[in-house]
Amino acid sequence: MFGPFLSPLWGDVNDGLWFPQDASTFAGEVDSTFNMILWICIAFFIPIVIALAWFAIKYHQPKGGKATSRVRHNNVLEISWSVFPAFVLVIMFVRGSWGYLDQREPPTGAAEVNVQAFKWDWSMDYGNGIVSPELHAVVNQPTRLVMRSTDVIHSLYVPAFRIKRDVVPGRYNVIWFEATVASEKVSQAELDEALKDAEENHGGDFDPERYGFTRQGYTYFDLYCAEYCGRDHSQMQTVVVVHETQEDFEAWLAAANVKPEGMTDEEYGRQLYQTRGCQSCHSIDGTRLVGPSFAGLFGTTHALESGEQVTVDENYVRESILDPRAKIVAGYQAVMPSYKGQLTDEQINSLVAFIKSLNGD
Amino acid sequence: MATSATHAGYAADNYLNHSRGLASWLFTLDHKRIGVMYLIGILTSFLVGGLLAMAIRAHLMAPDGALPLTNDQYNQVFTLHGAIMVFLFIIPSVPAALGNFLVPVMLGAKDVAFPRMNLGSFYLWCFGALFLVGALLSSGLDTGWTFYTPYSTTTDTSVVLATFGAFVLGFSSIFTGLNFIVTINTMRPPGMTWFRMPLFLWATYATSIIQVLATPVLGITLLLLIAERTMHIGIFDPEYNGDPVTYQHFFWFYSHPAVYIMILPGFGIISELISVHSHKGIFGYRFIAYSSIAIALLGFLVWGHHMFTSGMSNLTTIVFSALTFSVSIPSAIKVFNWLATMYKGSISLTTPMCYALSFLFLFTIGGLTGLFLGTLNTDLHLHDTYFIVSHFHYVMMGGTVVAFVGGLFHWWPKMFGRMYNEFWGRISAAIVFIGFNLTFFPQFILGSRGMPRRYATYDVEFQGLHQMSSIGAFLLGFGLLVAGLTLLHALFKGKLAPSNPWGGATLEWHCSSPPPHYNFAHAPVVGDPYEFDHIDYDRSIDGYVFTSPPREVLPKTPQAEPATAKDSHS
Repeated sequence: MFGPFLSPLWGDVNDGLWFPQDASTFAGEVDSTFNMILWICIAFFIPIVIALAWFAIKYHQPKGGKATSRVRHNNVLEISWSVFPAFVLVIMFVRGSWGYLDQREPPTGAAEVNVQAFKWDWSMDYGNGIVSPELHAVVNQPTRLVMRSTDVIHSLYVPAFRIKRDVVPGRYNVIWFEATVASEKVSQAELDEALKDAEENHGGDFDPERYGFTRQGYTYFDLYCAEYCGRDHSQMQTVVVVHETQEDFEAWLAAANVKPEGMTDEEYGRQLYQTRGCQSCHSIDGTRLVGPSFAGLFGTTHALESGEQVTVDENYVRESILDPRAKIVAGYQAVMPSYKGQLTDEQINSLVAFIKSLNGD
Repeated sequence: MATSATHAGYAADNYLNHSRGLASWLFTLDHKRIGVMYLIGILTSFLVGGLLAMAIRAHLMAPDGALPLTNDQYNQVFTLHGAIMVFLFIIPSVPAALGNFLVPVMLGAKDVAFPRMNLGSFYLWCFGALFLVGALLSSGLDTGWTFYTPYSTTTDTSVVLATFGAFVLGFSSIFTGLNFIVTINTMRPPGMTWFRMPLFLWATYATSIIQVLATPVLGITLLLLIAERTMHIGIFDPEYNGDPVTYQHFFWFYSHPAVYIMILPGFGIISELISVHSHKGIFGYRFIAYSSIAIALLGFLVWGHHMFTSGMSNLTTIVFSALTFSVSIPSAIKVFNWLATMYKGSISLTTPMCYALSFLFLFTIGGLTGLFLGTLNTDLHLHDTYFIVSHFHYVMMGGTVVAFVGGLFHWWPKMFGRMYNEFWGRISAAIVFIGFNLTFFPQFILGSRGMPRRYATYDVEFQGLHQMSSIGAFLLGFGLLVAGLTLLHALFKGKLAPSNPWGGATLEWHCSSPPPHYNFAHAPVVGDPYEFDHIDYDRSIDGYVFTSPPREVLPKTPQAEPATAKDSHS
């Protein structure tokens, strides 16, 4: 019964007790600084606790006992224990600042990804209209992230890389990393089994957390939002996949925004619904979430905040994806971010087809 | 002061029964009664905040949440836990409750300088608390206690009610601080120089400086936030050309010094507790006193360390890191001085001393783990993870709350004239100590392994540590319950307290327990607050009495003729 309590204490043999996997060029220095401070702390803490316990036992006396020393100050002692720790602090300060500056200066020629954070998902823009919620990079090659937010403050955090930077609306914040460990690809059989399980038991929702690899079969590193951003802050997570070679990365890029062969529009639309953040606000079973449910939506007429009526047709759905604030359904808030430039025409078509298919005809 | 058994024992006519009826409490100007009313208020807040903490920990037993709470509800629970604990409990805990009771008595004064303002600050506290409760009852609050923009300007929960509540509470805090500064400056009795003040008063004085100087900045910040939310004045919300990082600068300019408003009075309590229960003068009095002031002043310069990941320039970030390290020195000095005070003392392991020892252990961990966060490259990894959560709970709870509970046990006999059961008091200290470490130590590991804070759900690999932490939290809650019941039991069933149950030398131990309405019939004789040589244990009253130092006539053999009779010019 103690297994679940103790296993995190043993940690992974490779990772040790204190850290997650070490997978970027920064991790070694951060961990080594952490360990240095840890040992300094232990070197201070152990004598303090020994003195504390020893004094409490040795000088314990019954009531009415008198202290055996009247010494009330000792300048040499007091000044030395004020000054000596300062030298130790300088070492930490200097080392920490050096490490910090390394993380602040992206090398020239780094690959660039534009990151957009919104409630409650990420969208990574690789240029040329290729956008994905997943962060992909190539091993041993620096990647620079230019980050912006369309609503509140978020924070991009990849524990395995030891990097974190807030994503603040109204400004661009930049961060970079160089991964040193590539993701592995699981066998096709394992991937097929997982895809089948997701389809059969989870309504097609492929949660990488459940299987330990992504929909394409890559093992991954966690990417968290670390700045509190509201309801689904704790679900604002995505994956970082590190490719072994540039070719592998480019192959992924080429396939990222294209409907896979043999997939129908409805199926592709459903996959986009699950992977591009729609499902966190729009249900497909009629439940009211942040936004209106898609169930039986197509073809209906509903009232807007402005008092007008609108019929849900292809044009309205398209407009609501690209310019969500143009028409707000009565009783809902204008909180949806625009997907302009993030979805291809083919993807919008597929989403429309998917929403249509929910009428169950 | 002569040996006298009349000093020992319960005073028949005291501040508690001097006048009767609800109105005599509600309109009282007596600092002791105001202190007791504050105590009731903040302990109620502590109970509510504590129950919310239990709900948080219960929910986190399972990765997808063990309680039937939605993510929204969980966010409201942790926000209210933070807001209630910070604004309603910790900030007023020691200064307003214990401080109100003790400052005038320790000064040998009849009351604080401005008794009406003192009562006014209590009602402002109640008023502010009503707004916070009002926010809770209307549409809740889900911004976190920090009210970061633009989340707080766009969420549809009761941000305006809650921030207005915090704004009013700020005034309460300013009034208390102002009152203590004037009281300590002007009402010290003859003979009590600055360096013959008890260290609790030094700590209170340093705290008051921060309260008066920093709290107005919070007031302005919260007003601007309300204006931004209701009128879109365009200062904090980027949608109206504001900057959210500006809000963070404003907010932490108050809220970092506020951390010292919370911990400095705890330091003051510990200085008293360690010295009195070791029956030995405090070691390095001046270093401790100056370090309180140093912390108060340096505390104003380090707010930027809450924003190392926000996007400040590299130079600013590095400067704030350096300043942050500087503030750790005065805290370290205090720990060493307290240890040196125990050396060769005569230590009584009473309940207050058990809490003080617990404080030294926990606060040292809290302080040392701050070094990981002041160091820039490790902070980038640890920022906004459970490592932070654990660090500030070690300081705020392991430090301030443990010191506060220790102080309650120390001054409870003085405040209410009753002794509590020492056995159960010590048991509570042990359970709190074990429960605390079990709750928060695993959180350091959670954080350094990458678990972000303020998460309603979490990845399954963190479950074991989260469960350990939750079990520890329930144990901690149980320990505090035992402490509370022990104190409550004493009120009704405790035996009458002597005036000096621990052998303290400061002035509050010179008046009866509980003190009479006017504290002292005659101005007390001021001595060294840490001179324990002439305080002896009297078994018949189970307390300590002040004895006269042996008097000698010098010179022993009188001279034949007076010195003045000699003719020096002969």
